[in-house]
Amino acid sequence: MEPSAVIRLDSLSKTYRSKSGKPIQAVRQVSLSVPERQVFGFLGPNGAGKTTTVKMICCLVRPTSGRAHINGYDVWHRRSAAMRQIGVVLEGTRNVHWSLSAWNNLIYFGNLKGLWGKKLTSQAEHLLHKLGLWDRRQDLVRTFSRGMQQKVAIACALIADPPIVLLDEPTLGLDVQAARTVEDMIKRLAHEQGKTVVLTTHQLDLAEELCDRVAIISKGRIIADQPVEELLDLFSEEYYQIKVKGAPPAGLAARFGLNVKEENGNTILSGPIADQEALYDLLGRLRALGLPLISASRAEPDLEEVFVRMLDTDDAAQGGSAQ
Amino acid sequence: MKTALIALLGETRKGLLTTWTYRANAVVTIFTLGCTFIGIGFLMGGGDIDPEELASTFLGYLVWFYALMAISDVAWGLRGEIQTGTLEQMSMSSTPVGLLLLGRSLANFIVSTVQVLIIGEAMFSLLDIRIPMRWEGLPVLALTLAGIYGAGFIVAGATLVYKQFESFANLMQNGLLFLSGALLPVEEMPAWLATISRTLPSTQGIVVLRRVVLDGQSLAAVWRDGSLVWLIVHSAIYLAVGWLFFSVCEQIAKKQGSLGQY
Repeated sequence: MEPSAVIRLDSLSKTYRSKSGKPIQAVRQVSLSVPERQVFGFLGPNGAGKTTTVKMICCLVRPTSGRAHINGYDVWHRRSAAMRQIGVVLEGTRNVHWSLSAWNNLIYFGNLKGLWGKKLTSQAEHLLHKLGLWDRRQDLVRTFSRGMQQKVAIACALIADPPIVLLDEPTLGLDVQAARTVEDMIKRLAHEQGKTVVLTTHQLDLAEELCDRVAIISKGRIIADQPVEELLDLFSEEYYQIKVKGAPPAGLAARFGLNVKEENGNTILSGPIADQEALYDLLGRLRALGLPLISASRAEPDLEEVFVRMLDTDDAAQGGSAQ
Repeated sequence: MKTALIALLGETRKGLLTTWTYRANAVVTIFTLGCTFIGIGFLMGGGDIDPEELASTFLGYLVWFYALMAISDVAWGLRGEIQTGTLEQMSMSSTPVGLLLLGRSLANFIVSTVQVLIIGEAMFSLLDIRIPMRWEGLPVLALTLAGIYGAGFIVAGATLVYKQFESFANLMQNGLLFLSGALLPVEEMPAWLATISRTLPSTQGIVVLRRVVLDGQSLAAVWRDGSLVWLIVHSAIYLAVGWLFFSVCEQIAKKQGSLGQY
């Protein structure tokens, strides 16, 4: 095992059985390593296998085959030691006890990790101050806003100061301000406190902003696992942005598979254009329509573009191999 | 070991705090159970209350109350934790969930004991029931509760795998009231029913408790007649089987990926 990989998955697979006994492969031979102090994004569409993979790492779902290690500990054979390495906020609204106060939640989750006494109370105090919850520490969590509840959940995950934090859709359902607070918290965890953060999310802009590296999972398989910059570079050579004055007919952009954005009376067409011939074809049509060209440049796609293209490519490959 | 103990006591603290948050429910439970027993008393006395005869029934009723609370806590309490996602957080503790359930049972025992004391005091005052306070009853009660909480572990395990197990747990709670000898002593049951009754978690405990507390027999006497030995064996089996069953069910739930699903 690489000394710097704090999470390592080796050929991890999970097959569920449907009620009729039919096997459903949720995760297929997933192997990846997460180096320490990275923010690692785990992306994929609904039902791709993200949460099952995260739950296998957390010892909540038993893999059909393969292994998961956290800081060198096999999660199934050294469960107790492995669980001490991580703090986890799972997807959903209720990772904490709503019938307890914020303070008592932190004390409870600290106890679960074996903390007590002064060490526990000072860590709880520190986290509540840091997250702006100190004044409401004695209020029941059920009286909190969704954003505050998520802060309590994150505080509970951090109570034992674990080196690794797993956050499953941490900003889902939060309003803009609460989401921003959580994002800032994630940045601080990684960049100021040196923690390794594994983040699963649908929100690709969030992943692009926060992650050093991302893996994309589709239909239970990892189809990409690279640093964000490298991933963005993958399609940059064929990604263009063309700005014209006025509005071209809607069918034109659709014909070339481009995105359309209006900006101060101008139109920006962006997206992948496979070759120079297609590019000149598009420019010729815009000229024929009498739309003045403002600029045409090669551009870097955002993570959403890359994500969609990778899934499309994978779908096409799967379709091809199926035939 | 120290980590596990801290986690276990943390679970107990959580149970007590949660009960305090919903203390109105605990008060209503006391009132309901008290009123139900008064109703049972009138029913058994044909419209009259016979305090002497009711003492034996009341002792059985209190043991049943512990069973009721233990099963409710694991069946409905655990279901609540599954629904809210906190069971998954519990499962990520470095301490096994089975041990945490012990902590939860301890909280349940403390709360139930407070409720039993209040109901007891109320019935002593209202119905003039007298139950002698004999210290020999305490180890017998402890052994009885060990069997009851063992049965609670079986219910907890089943709740993890069969998500709608509460209906069965409900049946089990009511069955225990009528079949465990709480109301009708097991000696007065038909032979076939007595055989079934003796396999239930609280039956033998009620038998021995009555002998020790109401009939004034010593622990040595109930040891010699074999009833205490059978209680120890019975409770040990329930506790061991309950623990094992829960562990197996937890593994099945993890294999099915259903630990957090309801």
